[in-house]
Amino acid sequence: MFKLNFKIALRNIWKNKTSSLINISGLAIGLAACLLLLLYVAYEYDYDTQTIDTGQTYKVMINGRDANGEVDGTADATPNAIAPLLKQNYPAVKAAARIEGQGKRLIANGAQTLKRTTYFADPDLLNIFDYHFIYGDKRTALTEPNSVIVTASTARMLFGTTDVLNRSVRYDDKTDLKITGVIKDLPGNTSVSFDFLLPWSLNEAYRSWIKRPDWGNLNYKTIIRMNPETDIKQFNRSVKGVIKQHASWSSNEMVLFPLSKLHLYDTFVKGESTGGRIDQLRLFMGLAIGILLIACINFMNMATAKSEKRAKEVGIKKTIGATRGSLIGQFLMESMVLTVLSTTLAIVLIELCIPFFNRLLDIQLGINYSNSSIWIGLMGVVLITGLISGSYPAFYLSSFNPIQILTKRNIKNGLFSVNLRQILVVGQFSFAVILIIATTVIYQQIQYIKNRPVGYEINQLVELPQEGLLYDKLDVLRERLAKSGAVLSLYQSSGTIATETSWFSGMEWPGSSEADKLQNFSQLATTYDFVKTTGVKLVAGRDFSRSFASDSAAVLLNRSAVKRMNLKDPVGQTVVAHGNKVTVVGVFEDFILGSPTLKGSPLVVAFMKGWGGKVTMRMNPSNSVTENIATIEKIVKEVNPAYPVELTFVDQLYAEKLKTQRVLGILSNLFGGLAIFISCLGLFGLASYSAEQRTKEIGVRKVLGASVSSLMQLLSFSFLKMVAFAIIISVPIANYVMNNWLQNFEFHTSISWLIVLLTAAGTLAIALLTVSFQAYKAANANPVDALKYE
Amino acid sequence: MIKIENLEKVYKTEEIETTALNGINMHVKTGEFVSIMGPSGCGKSTLLNVMGLLDKPESGSYKFLETELLSMNDKQRSNFRKQNMGFVFQNFNLIDELTVFENIELPLIYNKVPATERKRLVNEIIERMNIVNRSGHFPQQLSGGQQQRVAVARALVTKPKLVLADEPTGNLDSSHGNEVMELLCELNEQGTTIVMVTHSSHDASFSNRIINLKDGHVISEKINKSRTEELI
Repeated sequence: MFKLNFKIALRNIWKNKTSSLINISGLAIGLAACLLLLLYVAYEYDYDTQTIDTGQTYKVMINGRDANGEVDGTADATPNAIAPLLKQNYPAVKAAARIEGQGKRLIANGAQTLKRTTYFADPDLLNIFDYHFIYGDKRTALTEPNSVIVTASTARMLFGTTDVLNRSVRYDDKTDLKITGVIKDLPGNTSVSFDFLLPWSLNEAYRSWIKRPDWGNLNYKTIIRMNPETDIKQFNRSVKGVIKQHASWSSNEMVLFPLSKLHLYDTFVKGESTGGRIDQLRLFMGLAIGILLIACINFMNMATAKSEKRAKEVGIKKTIGATRGSLIGQFLMESMVLTVLSTTLAIVLIELCIPFFNRLLDIQLGINYSNSSIWIGLMGVVLITGLISGSYPAFYLSSFNPIQILTKRNIKNGLFSVNLRQILVVGQFSFAVILIIATTVIYQQIQYIKNRPVGYEINQLVELPQEGLLYDKLDVLRERLAKSGAVLSLYQSSGTIATETSWFSGMEWPGSSEADKLQNFSQLATTYDFVKTTGVKLVAGRDFSRSFASDSAAVLLNRSAVKRMNLKDPVGQTVVAHGNKVTVVGVFEDFILGSPTLKGSPLVVAFMKGWGGKVTMRMNPSNSVTENIATIEKIVKEVNPAYPVELTFVDQLYAEKLKTQRVLGILSNLFGGLAIFISCLGLFGLASYSAEQRTKEIGVRKVLGASVSSLMQLLSFSFLKMVAFAIIISVPIANYVMNNWLQNFEFHTSISWLIVLLTAAGTLAIALLTVSFQAYKAANANPVDALKYE
Repeated sequence: MIKIENLEKVYKTEEIETTALNGINMHVKTGEFVSIMGPSGCGKSTLLNVMGLLDKPESGSYKFLETELLSMNDKQRSNFRKQNMGFVFQNFNLIDELTVFENIELPLIYNKVPATERKRLVNEIIERMNIVNRSGHFPQQLSGGQQQRVAVARALVTKPKLVLADEPTGNLDSSHGNEVMELLCELNEQGTTIVMVTHSSHDASFSNRIINLKDGHVISEKINKSRTEELI
């Protein structure tokens, strides 16, 4: 019986090629989209689970309190003293490690130099993360200061092989290190992502002050592995006041947060996690299921539309002795066969799309075919899809009464079945319309943020890391670049102008209270030419100047900072920053330093010679960009020969800030488009069946004198009615959902009715095009053929 | 073999009630070939459907070899049907997606006959029906007469006690029609009981007995002497 049913299924698929193609390709696209999104979701869910004991691994978070004692910020920035203290005093702490990211640093094997991402870390990090050591011993790999662990790909790039234990590499052009471990490359979904790992003791050797416990400098991250069976709530209560015990002036409190959850639940309000990326992920899961449902609905619609053709088979089988159960089994199997075929096609599609998808989202997705859970998941999806899409046709078709069919009494396509089909189509299109509107609103919002004035001249700005000799020879560089004509001006700063990099509190100003010391200010340390180079608008005072020796103790404030300090006449006033008295020499207009979706926050630009990190240059617009870049690269290399020259355009860095929104935009565009495509595919199929079923009616009408256009109207109208109904349902929903979404942004656009109208018109037009193709074909057929057919 | 008493069947739609069977009494003896005739709408197809357990009457009694069938539930009816009855339809009703062999095999599968036995039985009947060289073909590749042979073969493969035929020659030209009628006669001679609904008095002349229906009543019965003598 199984064999025979299987044969019938295959022959049916083969016989009805058009509908099979619509079914299989629609389902395959739906499945591919769904599986791809689920892969992405799984990837995000697996973030930071590469630890030895994921359930017991925590990140130390610091809650900062504002003047009113409310928690006003939660971050994973901790002092260097927490990890050793916890390890020493709390037996529940099994391992505790500090880490400090260094960004990309130089690592060299002789002349073979690379810039790769690195961290300083306590040896305990190896007892927290489950790194796979190809060579070396994790117990000793980070104990000596002059040691380094490299990933397999770094080893291969430097030496051409991974067998490099005990070989020597040169770090940052100043220290020779011995390779004490080679580990497997890290996956993309880890927050501690490095190409080589340096011992904390080396960090201390470079900067002796790191050895001293410092409760005020929150420059480090702390990761902790607890003993199993620790009551984490109890533990959090017991460590809440630890920072205060050691630094009575601090209002900071520590709290442990599960490391593997931090990636998805990274938004904190008043010290409590309120969500974060998980919201976006839930959206994607909804999208995945929605698209699959649309494809399943296609399947159901096609199957029930075909019911007249299958009715005879059902009737005969019932007469001969088939039970309803065996018929349900047969139809379910048919949908399973189709689903399996679609899944195969879907996997091919996914494999084709993954490289593109990875590049688009900057992630490392892949199907690991040796992973049994992937297969189990896949089988689950096939089973569920097959059941969902097959169940309705199975129960519907198997319910036919054999005498009615076989004695050729008219089968009434029961009111119920027609209605259900209509409901399904309406549901499909509602979903598609919601997606289109959502997509357009997301796009508009991104454009809105993009078009927000940055506040400085972002074009022609390039920056490079200040490394090696670029500290001491900055003036040489400035002179040579100016002479070359490629650069108009440049400045050094503690961080890029494209993002917020540093904050401080403890600021005092005329009229400030004790509580005001808790106010956080964004900071940027620089020397000369900051305003000149960036093009930030001064509203009062002046830039730092070489003609005023007193400027070595001066700051510039942005408008928000002046407003926060409530200074009437800021220029010339004395304020206290980092414990030093400094003079305000200028005030500038707010520019976008942090997220472009937020309103301006107070910023202090301070004159500090010793705190560099970036050199930012304004290129001469009268030369071409390529010429300028070539000149800059040549001169920088000559001044600082040991380092590769890494120029970055500031506008590109700025664009990076919109990455989350961009990802959302791309995904919703892509999958919204797919949803519409699959829906139209279904509509096409339904329209063709409806035309086929009404062949005789069309023939009779034509013989009686109906025109092609009136026939097309007749055939298209019922479908367009459904689509129109879908639009009416979906517009308010989309409007509500997207208005809510827009509220997430301090700076946001509003939904324009023109867009909604255009969406509605566009959807109707696409549906009309789809249906009228079939309708035209049917209406133009020779009526004699149609009548003979009966 | 069959004893039917006071059978009543009413079709109801929203507006009207149609009485299809209005107190039918009839019997069929084992080995008989009975034709049911009558004008359109007289209830002959309904009667055949009731006899085939495809339809349920409102009241009356239907005994098949002393077993009352009307009190059975759906599952029992379905089981009884597949073990005891075979059907031949006017429009053949073969499954287009199955080959001749597979079509004939289908009832055996539903009767849970083992595969080797199925093969033997199907081949046997294919030979008897003279369609051996067609066994791999699909129904639409055959002529009408051949299709009806396949349908008859399918009805007979389970060796049913009763074959019900609903205008078996209605879709065939006269020469193919005669072939099918001769086939049915042959089967009847070999011992199969047949009840046939027909419009054609020519076809009816092949049977032992003709029952005439009108408006849901049996109005007359006629014994076909030339055939009946053989039976006795």
